[in-house]
Order: sequence, then C-alpha cells, then structure tokens
Amino acid sequence: MGEELFLGFNGYALITIATMLGIFVLMQRSRLPAEVVFLGALTVLLVTGVVSEEDGMSGFGSEPVVVHAAFFVIIGGLMQTGVLYWLTKNVLGLPTSYSWALLRLMIPTSIMAAMLNSVNVVALFIEAVKIWARKLNIAPSKLLLPLSYAATLGGMCTLLGNSSNLVVAGLYLSQTGKSMNLFEPLVPGLVMTVIGVIMVILLQHHIPLRESTEQSFESTSDYTVELLVPTDNPAVGETVADAGLYHVKGGSLLEIVRFDREIIMPVTKDEWILGGDRLVYAGQINEILELKRTHGLAAADHHVWSINDIDTKRKMRTAYVKFGSDLIGHSMTQCDFEQANNVALVAVARQGHRIEGQPREIRLQAGDMLLLECPPKGDSQLEMNSHRSLTFFDSHFVPQLGKKTITSALILLMMFFVSSLHLLPLMAATMLAAGLMMLFGCCRVTGVTKLIEWELLLILGSTVVFSVAISKTGVADITARQVLNLCGSNPYLVMVVMCLLASLVSEFVSDVGASAVFFPIMYHQALLLDCNPMPFVMSLMLSVTVSFASPIGSSTHMLIYGPGAFRFTDFARLGLWLHLVLLAVALIMVNILYPL
Amino acid sequence: MSTTFKEENNDYVMYFEGRLDTAAASQVEKEVQVLNDCFGHDIILDCTELAYISSSGLRIFLAILKNAKPKGSHVYIRGINDSLRQVFAMTGFTNLFEFK
Repeated sequence: MGEELFLGFNGYALITIATMLGIFVLMQRSRLPAEVVFLGALTVLLVTGVVSEEDGMSGFGSEPVVVHAAFFVIIGGLMQTGVLYWLTKNVLGLPTSYSWALLRLMIPTSIMAAMLNSVNVVALFIEAVKIWARKLNIAPSKLLLPLSYAATLGGMCTLLGNSSNLVVAGLYLSQTGKSMNLFEPLVPGLVMTVIGVIMVILLQHHIPLRESTEQSFESTSDYTVELLVPTDNPAVGETVADAGLYHVKGGSLLEIVRFDREIIMPVTKDEWILGGDRLVYAGQINEILELKRTHGLAAADHHVWSINDIDTKRKMRTAYVKFGSDLIGHSMTQCDFEQANNVALVAVARQGHRIEGQPREIRLQAGDMLLLECPPKGDSQLEMNSHRSLTFFDSHFVPQLGKKTITSALILLMMFFVSSLHLLPLMAATMLAAGLMMLFGCCRVTGVTKLIEWELLLILGSTVVFSVAISKTGVADITARQVLNLCGSNPYLVMVVMCLLASLVSEFVSDVGASAVFFPIMYHQALLLDCNPMPFVMSLMLSVTVSFASPIGSSTHMLIYGPGAFRFTDFARLGLWLHLVLLAVALIMVNILYPL
Repeated sequence: MSTTFKEENNDYVMYFEGRLDTAAASQVEKEVQVLNDCFGHDIILDCTELAYISSSGLRIFLAILKNAKPKGSHVYIRGINDSLRQVFAMTGFTNLFEFK
C-alpha cells in the first residue's frame, strides 16, 4: 500500500481520492443524507487503514465541531429568550421603493449573519420576509434571494458567520497551532459585503420573480385537492351529479380513487359514490375545501367511518419540503409521516403549478409546497417533530420578552468581546457563553441536546478527518506539486487557479466539503513556494463562500429555495456575476492585507 | 367467476361464485341484466360462494338496486362472509341493502 502505484500516489492516497470522489458523486446523485455519506466515507478510510483510530476520532473533538455545538446552544438561548424574535420583528421597516427594501433587508441581515451565522439568520427571517413581502406587495422571491445573498455575504466577515470559515480556521489551528481571531476575515469580508449588496441593488432586474406557492394555494384555480367520502355520508349510493359533487364551485372532479385503489377517470356525472372513495378535484382550494363543511367530506390519511368522527376544528397549514428531507422521493402513501404526525396531506404544489394525479401518491421533491390538515392544537410540537422534513410557514413559536432577553443578548456580546480581544480562544469563549446561557436559565438544560444539529457536527467532524487523510497520504503534497508544475512557481497564479477550482466545487458540493479538501493542498503549496500561508488560507476561506450561482452551493440558498418557489437555474442569473466579481475582490483584498 | 340465475318462491335469485374483481365485472354486468325486468319479484343476491368483491362488483350490485327500487322490488343480499361484510360496511352498503 505504501508503494507508488499511479501518478506518484500510493494505495492509501488512491483510496482517499476515490473516497472523496465517491462523496461528491453520492452528494450529487443520491438521496442519501449528507451525514450518512460522510460517515460512510470515514468508515472506508478507517477500515482500509488510511487513517488511524486516533485520527478518525480527532475530527469530532476539533475546534469547528466544538464551537458549532456550543453555538447551537447559544442560538437556542437567544431564540428561547426572544432576542431573535425581537430582531426579526424590528429591523424591517416600511420602505417606499424596491431598492430601499433591498437595503433595509440586506444591511441588518448581513450584520446579524456575521454575528449569528448566516444559516440561523436566513432560517429566522424567512417567515418575517414573506409577511413583509406581502405588505410591500412584492413577490417573496424578489426579497428571499437578496436575504440569502446578504446572509452569506455578512457571514464572510467573522469566523462564526459561515460554517466553512470555522472549518478553515480549525484546520489552520491544527496545522500551525495558531488560533485565528474571530474577526480575522472582517476587512476583506466587509469590502465583499458592501460590493455584493451594491451589485444586488444594481442588478436587481436579474432577481427572478416567482409567484409564491403559498399565495397560489389561496388564489389559483389550478391545484389538486383530495377529499374522502366517509362511510355514512348521505351521498353514498348516489351519483356524483345528484350528490352535488360533480359541478362544484371553483373546481372540477378529476378522478375517483376507490377503496381498492381502482381509479375512475374521467368521471361521468352518473358515476356512483361509494363510502371510502377519494374524490380528486382540480380547482380553487378554498372553494373545494368548503365541500368538507357542506357535503361532509374529509381530508384524511385513513378511512373515516362517520361524519361525526371528523374533527371540524382541525386546520389547514402550509409547509414546504426541506432539502435533505426524508420525504423526498416518497409519496405520503409510501411512508408513515401522516400517521406519525396526525396530519393529512390535502394538496401539493410544485413551483407554482398543479401536479397531475392524486396528491397522496405524488413523489415529493425538495421545495414542494404541501397543504396539510393538522390537529387544532400542538402546533409547536408538530413543528418540532417534523423539523427535519418540513418547514411550516405559520410558525407558532412566539417567545416571551423579559429580563432573560437582555441577559442572553449580553452573553452574546460578552462572547464577541472576549473572543475578539483574544482574552480567551474562540472555543473557550463559545463554550463559556453556552454554559452561561444554561446557568442563567436562558435555555432549558434538560432539552439542550435537542438544540444541537448533530448531523452538521457529524459532517464537520468527518471533513476534518478527510483533511487529515489528504495531508497524511501525500495527496495534498503531490497534488500541490502537480498544480505547481502546471502553473509554474508564480504564487498569485497558483492561488487564483486553486481558488477558482475551490469556488466551483463549492457551488456543486458544499462550502464545508470544498474547504476541507482544498485546505491541505493550498497549505502545502504555500509551504512549497516558501510563502506566507495566510493569503492562501484566507483566499480559500472567502472563495468557498462565493457560491451564489446554485441553490445547493450554500445552506442558506437551500432554505429559501422552497419558500421562494425558485427554479434551479434562478440562482445563476445574478449569482454568476456575484461569484466572479467577489472572487476577484477576495483575491485582491487578501493579497493586499496579507503579503506573500 | 360464475353466476347462476334461478327463480325461487317468486324471487329472482342470482348466485355468485368465485372472485368478482375488476376483470370479471364486465362479463357479470351482462349476466345480471336478466334481473332488469323484475316487476313483481324481489331480488336475492346470493354471495355464499363469493370470495371477493371489488369496487367494480359493488357498482354492479348498486346498479341492480337502483334499477329494482323504482319497480317496487326489494333487493336482499344473502350469505356474505366476514371479509365481504367488512367491505360492505366500509363502503356504506350495509345502509343501502337489506340482508338475509
């Protein structure tokens, strides 16, 4: 295994390369959750002896993982004490023009993203921005895309702003033993944020206008709704026309699905109705849902025996399917989601259009908008139980404002103060802040583990190990030398080529993955060229976050994809320009600030 | 799937045997047309040997009922097993038909 086999790489190096390629392919082509892919790859490296047990476990105790874990607790505290709620309610005003609206949105969200991480800020603001868009009479897509871009831009300013920043800082710490300042990327990040915001305002005509799927549910005449005939419905034994279920206000009867799954389509007006039939209508949703009240029909995942069994207090809620949701690729009839959460799927919309067929048989995709009939109570519980699969629009989480709101805000400020003045290393500062949040009762100690996104920690821990494998097996060294052979010994050219490649990879995989793969290679190149590694490290940190051109390039883009009813290519229209210009700015700024 | 028509005690009796699924429904639909002219006769649908009934089969039963009612004839269902009884109950047919 230790002998050179191909292009100077030994067996371990080739396994490492194959594993990395495997990750990229699986992330692109399969529906496997990212953490499963990364842990699977880590298993391959451990079993084949590429990394030792010690190396394999070291990633999970590394700085990015620990800081993220502590940060989840801090965010949980800020959320539970209402700091974040207060911020989302108060930063957006009532601007008089679209350009002003963009400024009012992008400036505060980019500042908040720098302090609270871009993903947290976008997740918090989606609902507020959608309501704001309605107030301003602007399509949500015209504000959600700038929201995501602003958060990513602001996230470039601090190590906490984007997850990849922490990964790069953590890898730098492990290589050099030097801890980066929390505000290390502030100057280039700030310049890039200002330029990025100006570009979004100047090129605003490239921001796509997409009809909100949520509004579509309320007003369109082109959606599919499924309603069940309970056993004791008076219409049983009647024809659809006699029962008044054929010509209905605002819609038409498309098909009848019998209890034995036989489908009657097209439906003639003298077709009999049997108990247990599922009537599938196309039309205006509100009008069709009136049939529940007027004709005793039900939205249900299971058979309903009596009209009296229908809980008339159940309510309709809209949610969209998240990226990475376990519902993707499945229909409701194929999984137990409805039973597990006591909800019934009534309608599905995809990018503002009706999907042919019975809603509960539709294989769901990321971004699909679902209309669900939900229990009358327990909204927060439902949101918590299904938060990995769906995001509800009408989130019912409204915290109480009080003394703890101020306490948790002060703890956050203390963390920034202590960390930026280097009074404590970043890891210690975040852990201290998380501990104080619990000590002062800003977040419940009993449920603290639920605040942590374990999947992200697993991914981060694995990426750190891959970085170790790339260094240890010689992949970094050999690739670094080969790129140098191709590009010559001009460090600027090498940096440009590598950053261009890293930013391209991050558009299609993720900023975290790209930074873990490229860090050891670029660090080696700096050493081989006898240069200061800092410009290489900082340019990598910034270039993996300029992935504005595809929805999968950044977690924030994935969050807004569904709510904005975006299409995959929508991000490229403005994102491509941002990517190229900001990459150039990043390289120039870094080389001014950190001489070679 | 087979059907047998008999006249017993002035009642029209149709015996069903086997599985009345979607594939068999069109043939059975033709065979039960003999029940259309039922003035002065009640109808008995004997399901003692009927193993399964699909929604298409239920539609045939419903069509017989809808044809017989205006003519003053009663339609009775006789000898259904437990699984058929479940299907009749679920589809609301127990409220529409009389059972013997």
